[in-house]
Amino acid sequence: MPVLWTLNPAKFWPAKVRLMSLVFTDHLISWMIAVPFLTIAVVLFLPSDQWVRRVALAGTLTNLGLTGVLWSGFDLSTKGMQFVERSEWMPTFNIAYAVGVDGISILLVLLTTLLSPLCVLASWKVIDTKVKAFMGLVLLVEGAMIVVFTALDMFLFFMLWEVTMIPMYFMIILWGGPDRVAAGIKFVLYSLTGSLLLLVGILGLYLHGGHSFDMLHLARQSYPTDTQAWIFLAFLLAFAIKLPMVPFHSWLPDAHSEAPTAGSVILAGVLLKMGGYGFLRFCLPMLPDACERFGPAVLWLSVVAILYGGCLALAQSDLKKLVAYSSISHMGFVTLGIFSFNSQGIQGAVLQMFNHGITTGALFLAVGQLYDRTHSRLISDYGGLHKPMPRFVVFLSIFSVASFGLPGASNFIGEFLVLVGASYTSFVRVLLAMGGIVLAAAYMLWMLQRVVLGEAPRKIALLPDLSVRETVTLVPLTVMIFLVGLYPGPLMQLLDASVTNLLEQTKGAIPVDLAVLD
Amino acid sequence: MSIFILIPLLPLMAFLTLAFSGNRFGATSHRIGIPAVGLSFAFSVAALVSVSTGGPISISLYRLIEVGSLVVDLDLYIDQLTVLLLLLVTGVSFVVHVYSSRYMIGDPHYRRFFAVTTLFTFAMVALVMSNNLLLTYMLWEIMGICSYLLISHGADRTAAARAATKAFLTNSVADVGFGFGVVLTFATYGTLDIQQILAAAPSISGQSTNLLGWLGSELMIETNTLLTLLLFAGAVGKSAQVPLHIWLPFAMEAPTPVSALIHAATMVNAGPFLLVRLSPMLVLAPTTMTVIAVVGGTTALYGALVSLTQTDIKKLLAYSTISQIGFMIFACGVGAFVAAVFHLLAHGFLKGFLFLSTGNALRAVASHGHGESHAVPDSHALRLSSPLSLGALLLACIPALILFAGPYERMWTAHDLPSARAAFLFVGLGTVFFTAIYVFRGVVSLFQQQFAVRDDETGALVSIQPRMLSAAHVPGLVLGGIAGSALLMLLWSWFAEFLTPALGASRLASAVPVQAAVLSPWLLAPLTAAVAGWVVGYRLHSGSGLATLARSDWMKTLYVALLNKLYFDEIYDTYVVQPVLRLVNWLWRVVDLKGINSAVHGVGIAVLWFARGIGSVLEVHTVERGSTGVGRAVLILSRWLWGTIEGRGVERVVEESASSSLRLSAWLWRVVDRRVTDQALEGVGRLADETGLALQRIEPRTLQHHLLLVVCWLVLAIGLSYWFLL
Repeated sequence: MPVLWTLNPAKFWPAKVRLMSLVFTDHLISWMIAVPFLTIAVVLFLPSDQWVRRVALAGTLTNLGLTGVLWSGFDLSTKGMQFVERSEWMPTFNIAYAVGVDGISILLVLLTTLLSPLCVLASWKVIDTKVKAFMGLVLLVEGAMIVVFTALDMFLFFMLWEVTMIPMYFMIILWGGPDRVAAGIKFVLYSLTGSLLLLVGILGLYLHGGHSFDMLHLARQSYPTDTQAWIFLAFLLAFAIKLPMVPFHSWLPDAHSEAPTAGSVILAGVLLKMGGYGFLRFCLPMLPDACERFGPAVLWLSVVAILYGGCLALAQSDLKKLVAYSSISHMGFVTLGIFSFNSQGIQGAVLQMFNHGITTGALFLAVGQLYDRTHSRLISDYGGLHKPMPRFVVFLSIFSVASFGLPGASNFIGEFLVLVGASYTSFVRVLLAMGGIVLAAAYMLWMLQRVVLGEAPRKIALLPDLSVRETVTLVPLTVMIFLVGLYPGPLMQLLDASVTNLLEQTKGAIPVDLAVLD
Repeated sequence: MSIFILIPLLPLMAFLTLAFSGNRFGATSHRIGIPAVGLSFAFSVAALVSVSTGGPISISLYRLIEVGSLVVDLDLYIDQLTVLLLLLVTGVSFVVHVYSSRYMIGDPHYRRFFAVTTLFTFAMVALVMSNNLLLTYMLWEIMGICSYLLISHGADRTAAARAATKAFLTNSVADVGFGFGVVLTFATYGTLDIQQILAAAPSISGQSTNLLGWLGSELMIETNTLLTLLLFAGAVGKSAQVPLHIWLPFAMEAPTPVSALIHAATMVNAGPFLLVRLSPMLVLAPTTMTVIAVVGGTTALYGALVSLTQTDIKKLLAYSTISQIGFMIFACGVGAFVAAVFHLLAHGFLKGFLFLSTGNALRAVASHGHGESHAVPDSHALRLSSPLSLGALLLACIPALILFAGPYERMWTAHDLPSARAAFLFVGLGTVFFTAIYVFRGVVSLFQQQFAVRDDETGALVSIQPRMLSAAHVPGLVLGGIAGSALLMLLWSWFAEFLTPALGASRLASAVPVQAAVLSPWLLAPLTAAVAGWVVGYRLHSGSGLATLARSDWMKTLYVALLNKLYFDEIYDTYVVQPVLRLVNWLWRVVDLKGINSAVHGVGIAVLWFARGIGSVLEVHTVERGSTGVGRAVLILSRWLWGTIEGRGVERVVEESASSSLRLSAWLWRVVDRRVTDQALEGVGRLADETGLALQRIEPRTLQHHLLLVVCWLVLAIGLSYWFLL
């Protein structure tokens, strides 16, 4: 991405503005973290629900703007972390407040800040009780997610990782569907188990890496093979639950389908990515030997996830569950790419995380809009939507075909890169993963056939089409889908140096030039 | 950047215009589509001139992907092959657009129709121009989704919806092969640029891949063979070859002009095109060539036989397309790439013409109140009045003549076994024979048919002659004219000579002597077959022959089997679709819900039991006493806390924070006061006044308002302090 506009070199600004902007850009990430929390503070004092919504929207949009500033100020050629801020926090334990971004985190931060305003918009009318609390929770997740994706200190990472869970829990049990309490408890118990293992892994690294929580420092250390193995297994379980990988996925369909629309969007769009991000930040650079040792197993698990998730999505009669199971399938591609240990695979995996956030977020938004009208998630209750809701149908079709990886739409690029990456290690896995794409086409098109096409039942024939607000919610994601699908260059340049750097850290242990043909 | 970039760009722009115009164009959408495709055709003609004089043209667009060694540049490449297909695609598409502008009048989705057809045209045009295998794959898929949208155009009908899903899914199964082939090609060649791949193909031959390496055993296969087989799998799907042909007859759910587009210009032609494009790679893999020939030959015979029995005119045409495309692929398989392309062009124009005429006939029937009933009535009325139909019939046979006309005989050495040669000869001649029969029958029932239609009011049978729509008559004539003149102009030898460079001249020239093509005695064989077929067709239709055939039992069985298309649909439904659905349901209900989910619940329950067990083992009293003690301690602690905080803590904290914020504001004010110029002060003052006034209007003033005000002021103060301190 060429530097479109940045505050620093703008010569026509007065000197004072330049100085101020320096202060501003020096602490840009802190500002991005602060904005949601400040917005929460403001929201708490607002008297009317309408103002709560507006201020929350303004806050999330501000952060989106700040992400743009972050991106425009990001130096594409630098390999390491940028915009780094560090200050002592608990010096006794070597814990610091340290944040910074590289290409991978900036993309996930962008995803977070892009989806947050849309979540606020999607909840505009639907959430009419305890609006303040709901918007507060959305903002809280956003803030926490930004910290998770930018943290350079493991303790900070872990703390905010935990924090993301709480708002999700409340979103599910307070505004969710009929089975919300069970789903919420399941989500929390599962996540807590994962967190516990994550903590074990982090403490393991802390003890073996010279009593430091500094991620950059830890990535430079080398650890004994056996230590790597058990730390890796702890991390693997933690991230596998979050991602989720089969067979640790059973919390996801319930949580996704019971959560309110905004909750599902955040959950599928952003929260799952913490798992993939964890693999990239912890496992690959810090535990390369263990990655090599367990890599093939993870790859096979990924393939199983792709096919298994696809099969289960095909069996669903519930729209939200269908999208939820499709997430499992899509996240299989992420691990398939990451554990291929080459630049195509990893860039593909990160792009896949981004694209999955966009398309699945969009699908949940669309399904949510349908649910708002009929209060039914059952596919069999729909049919012939093309007549009453033509505009909605256009969006739903775009999201569906993008989701199964139609070329020209975003997911294709990520999946293709992952497949090329995976082909360096094994062709069978590539072939099986492509079977997953056929499954994806099958469940999406079958869903479209039953929901969109055919004769409309009388109840469906009277549904109103999308309002302006709802259209505005969907348009940005549609634009992103085609932008990434047709011109992924900027995103890939963003990733290039960081992924190369990551691979250099991993390279010591893993031969990158594996046999081309096995 | 060459001007010829406009050939794909114009339809694309038309699509974008229509897609984003809302309802601005509505019933005038064809005014966007027709000129775009027409101009595109004009540019194609220009490209033909340019290529035949100046050689191939390359156009670079932009870099799609660059990751490590994987570089994907979107490049277009116009050579002789491309230019011929461009003429076909844009020409037929233009006529279809003109035709549809009348045919689709009154359709509620008029704009959508033209938007998708222009996108469809764009995809096919760009596909034949693509010089990158990934770009080809992308457009391949985009064409798939276009066909999906067009087949489901009549979205109210469940049959249309099913047909659309079926078409796309069948294609996507085949595209696994294609996609995998693309990935594998990159792994083998290290590039996806088609020209580079073709140039490097000879150096790869001899390399082999172990198919069973992942199992630890060994099954070696030549890499080129594997690659070409996989890429061919994509062609099997898109070109509706056996066993993946099932989608094409169902695609007839689309409006008739769409069928013309799918069968004549886009979609099914992509398969033979891909094979011809990759011909230098194919000829290095004899196994693949054999597979291609077998699949193509089977399809050609199968399609011809099935179309003999079909009673629905559109189904008949669909199976005829399957057969003809099969013939092209068969031709590719025996190495007759030039003949395949020639057949592709001739068939394209002919099929376009046939479909549009069918549309007219169906319209004529429909306007008498019967809806689109596609049945071909049994008829014995036979008048060979239309010279047009004769021309069409000849055109259908001529490419076959060429195939058997000599030079390719030598190419057949790729399949050196005498039995193989005999089999191919039999398949080829058989196809020509049956094609002649059904083309005869179709043409007869279309143009020489007295339609008997029951009048709605009187109930009496009324005879009507299908009339051509006046405007739509013209495209038919145009197509016929184009085909005729194409036949005249593109003399075979010139054609072969023209096309040879695009097929990798150096590699194929020795195998394809172009001259003396028409003089072989072999020419008589297909001609005889065609005439024989024609005669048989006439006998069947004149009644006596049919009756004789109907008496024998095995003929009846064969007829029923062919009428049911050899039960492909039923077999797939029973042995593929239903088992998959049962499997996924079993996976979900048994494995996921009962297995994994219950296991997790089991862990939870086990933990509960464990906790309960501990509870019962421990002395109840001890625990109780302990807990009481803890409770009491907590109470005391909390009471103490409460007292401390309540009594002193809170008060002091409030006091302190109040005074400190006072101090802060005083300090801020001093700072601001000292440094701010009078003007700014005035401005701020006025602003504050106004804010105050505005705030006064809001009644009642609540605590929240005050706090909000404080927050706003704090933000402002922080900004101002930055401003003045720096």
